Amino acid sequence: MSDPTKNPIHPALPELAEKARRGRIGRRDFLRTAALLGASAATAHSLLGVALKPGSAMAAETPKFGGNLRVSMNVMDISDPAIFDWSQKGNQARHIIEPLVQIDKDNIARPHLAEKWEASEDLKTWTFHLRKGVKWSNGDDFGADDVIATFRRWLSPETGSSNIGRFAAMTTTTDTGKKDENGKPIKKTSMSEGALEKIDDHTVRFHLNTPDLSLPESMGDYPALITHRRFVEDGANFIKNPIGTGAFELKEFKVGERMVLTKRKGKYWGGDVYLDQITYIDHGDDPAAQIAAFASDQVDTTYETGVEQVAAIKSLPMLDLYETITAQTGIARFKVTEKPFDDRRVRQAIQACIDHDRLRTLLYGEYGAAAEDHHVSPVHPEYAELPKLKQDYAKAKKLLAEAGHAGGLKVRIDCVASPSWEQNACKAIAEMCRPAGIDIEINVMPGGTYWDRWTTTPFGFTNWTHRPLGVQVYNLAYRSGVPWNESSYSNPEFDSLLDVAGTKIDPEARRADMAKLQKILQDDAVFVQSLWRSVFVAANKRVRGLYAHVALEHHYNKVWLA
Amino acid sequence: MLSFIFRRLALTAATMLAVSLLVFLLLELNPGSVAVKVLGPYSSEEQRQLWLEANGYLNPLWQRYLEWLGRMVTGDFGESIRFKVPVAEVLWPRLWNTAILAFWTFAVLIPLSLTLGVLAGMREGSRLDRAISITSIITTSIPEFASAVFLSAIFVFGLGILPGTSAMSNGFDPLQLILPVMVLVLYDVGYVTRMTRASMAEVMTAPYIRTAVLKGIPFPRVILRHGLRNALIPPFTVIMLQINWLLSGVVVVEFFFAYKGFGALLLEASLNQDIYLIQACAMVAVFVAVTTQTLADIGYTYLNPRIRLQ
Repeated sequence: MSDPTKNPIHPALPELAEKARRGRIGRRDFLRTAALLGASAATAHSLLGVALKPGSAMAAETPKFGGNLRVSMNVMDISDPAIFDWSQKGNQARHIIEPLVQIDKDNIARPHLAEKWEASEDLKTWTFHLRKGVKWSNGDDFGADDVIATFRRWLSPETGSSNIGRFAAMTTTTDTGKKDENGKPIKKTSMSEGALEKIDDHTVRFHLNTPDLSLPESMGDYPALITHRRFVEDGANFIKNPIGTGAFELKEFKVGERMVLTKRKGKYWGGDVYLDQITYIDHGDDPAAQIAAFASDQVDTTYETGVEQVAAIKSLPMLDLYETITAQTGIARFKVTEKPFDDRRVRQAIQACIDHDRLRTLLYGEYGAAAEDHHVSPVHPEYAELPKLKQDYAKAKKLLAEAGHAGGLKVRIDCVASPSWEQNACKAIAEMCRPAGIDIEINVMPGGTYWDRWTTTPFGFTNWTHRPLGVQVYNLAYRSGVPWNESSYSNPEFDSLLDVAGTKIDPEARRADMAKLQKILQDDAVFVQSLWRSVFVAANKRVRGLYAHVALEHHYNKVWLA
Repeated sequence: MLSFIFRRLALTAATMLAVSLLVFLLLELNPGSVAVKVLGPYSSEEQRQLWLEANGYLNPLWQRYLEWLGRMVTGDFGESIRFKVPVAEVLWPRLWNTAILAFWTFAVLIPLSLTLGVLAGMREGSRLDRAISITSIITTSIPEFASAVFLSAIFVFGLGILPGTSAMSNGFDPLQLILPVMVLVLYDVGYVTRMTRASMAEVMTAPYIRTAVLKGIPFPRVILRHGLRNALIPPFTVIMLQINWLLSGVVVVEFFFAYKGFGALLLEASLNQDIYLIQACAMVAVFVAVTTQTLADIGYTYLNPRIRLQ
């Protein structure tokens, strides 16, 4: 490592490094600039927070063929890809069946089974051109029929797929005329007529009822893997008929125990694949077991290393740790229709007590990124930078007094028992609010109980997972009346501005609208945000080509073992 | 004896019935929450209603309970939400794994603790006795999760001679059994040893022992021929009751070493709201608990002719 006194780093570098770590400028750009400013490669990489691995970035190693990658991850049932509800299931299946679009490690939607796509001006008609020459593992050609059959299945309510909400723009909700036990009309959602159009064997056109600029990103989500056109006729069981377009085939499968994938016998459309075999081993839910498995070389990598295990992982000499900042976060959200949170001043008072950077340090140490209470992450392409929020107890007390709580405020937040960072976030927030006279009682409950009431509780801490685009989160969580609008926030100005933003497919063009939307949410103090979480993936040093994906996806086609 | 067994069987059945009612009420009282557990928190109201109707949850409570009971009795435990296979497919292999763990734990524990207990109790207050007693108390005081970490730190991280997890993913591997058994034995040996020691010490104060010694019989023969049979009666009961602990109390060890056993299964089922699996595991646990108690009582009568079963 270079001696800082001998080779002092250029003063501009630390700030640039922070931008690179947050994804504002590309890593390559940063490394190029750093080199121009006189930093050595080792210094530049260490500024990025990445230990330079010998022989990886500098000298391009020749990948070796062969080997078995052992991964510790929960092995879950994957008999119906349409109803995947855990990211682990997506990982298990993604080696065999593939999506049209794949979100890469930089959170960008890239062509996969779809070669390219265009959208009409009004973003309601999308044409996807499918890759030619792709073969299923049973010899059939991949084409439009497979895509249409898969989508048709997703969009029928009997399947029970989350894709019916993901691709809601292709659906119609009608009143069945019947009433449920509370007298409310029973509605039925199904695919709109003419939503799917086959242009030719390798072109599919989607006709949406409302503009949706995030259609490619939605196609990259883990429940959107394309199955064979005869999936239903052959019994709708992926385990019994694991026909896929991917680089691997299913060899062995036992739920809760292990899953073995072997390299595809035929030709794979995506070029060279180095691994002979991938083995998923289920070690239960105790993170200590995974660390022990690493130590006795029973696994090469795991699904995820939690932030609490980072210190332990770093102490093991045979491991590398990969980190990516994501749009995963947890929000302490208010129900803006219930006392005392219906008064904006109360919400703003609580917001004013928070030191976001300190919150990040308390929860994630040197990792993660500070949040800004508007739920758009620096890794989102349309992120707009706003003036930083500052902790201001005088302002908090003044707002409280104006709202009629000069003598202090007592509230209660609902929080899940595990994972522990969520409780810690609540505790930290409570500590920060104390000097302003706000007493937050933390009501800890098991996960199942929280999810029974996450949309109704007046003040709750909710974990939100990563989504590639900021507008996706806004449409899911803050648009008036949507199912996941847990805060009951309803602002017509916000909604119409969101509609406008939704017409602009270029993130640059969207940024100005996002700046306004972000500011509205921030000013209305709908929630206090804990931080932008990093995800960590640990792997044995012999594994090459691995990285921590923002949504913890497993892309092993170019992974090899040294 | 026969009437005793029949009465005990009836008691077992009654206990299980009561527990089944309790379990059913706790988990299936509110059909809405069952739907949420099965379909997940992101399911829509519409999907839940469809599922509830399809699975008979809109019937009255007593009807649902009787149907559920009928299925339980015939061995149809329902389908596991987490594993998406019939519960029986997951339950019996896991139970078998715990049985293997229990067997080897007993294989080490019983000879070890009985020997130590006898050695400690035959001369109460001796240096050997004190050494064994103190060691027993120390090892019993260390909880399994602590000793699991210590032993793992020594053998896996430090010396690197034992595997860190016991998932047995490549088929049965005896090496992977060593650490879990070690932890369990370490935890329980103290308790059984001290029970044996207490019993032995009491026997040694009996007049017939004194007579045997005064008759000039060599001390080892006194122990083995005259003292042991009576001293081992209470430990037998204790050991039988340890079976219960080895079924579900080993959850910490199974979880830590990722050993695919019954305790870990129940824990995973609970954490993941897998209600059919929870119900089945609860019934199995109750059955084992009541059965081992019955067996302990019957065995005790055989060993100790002075006890009459009423």
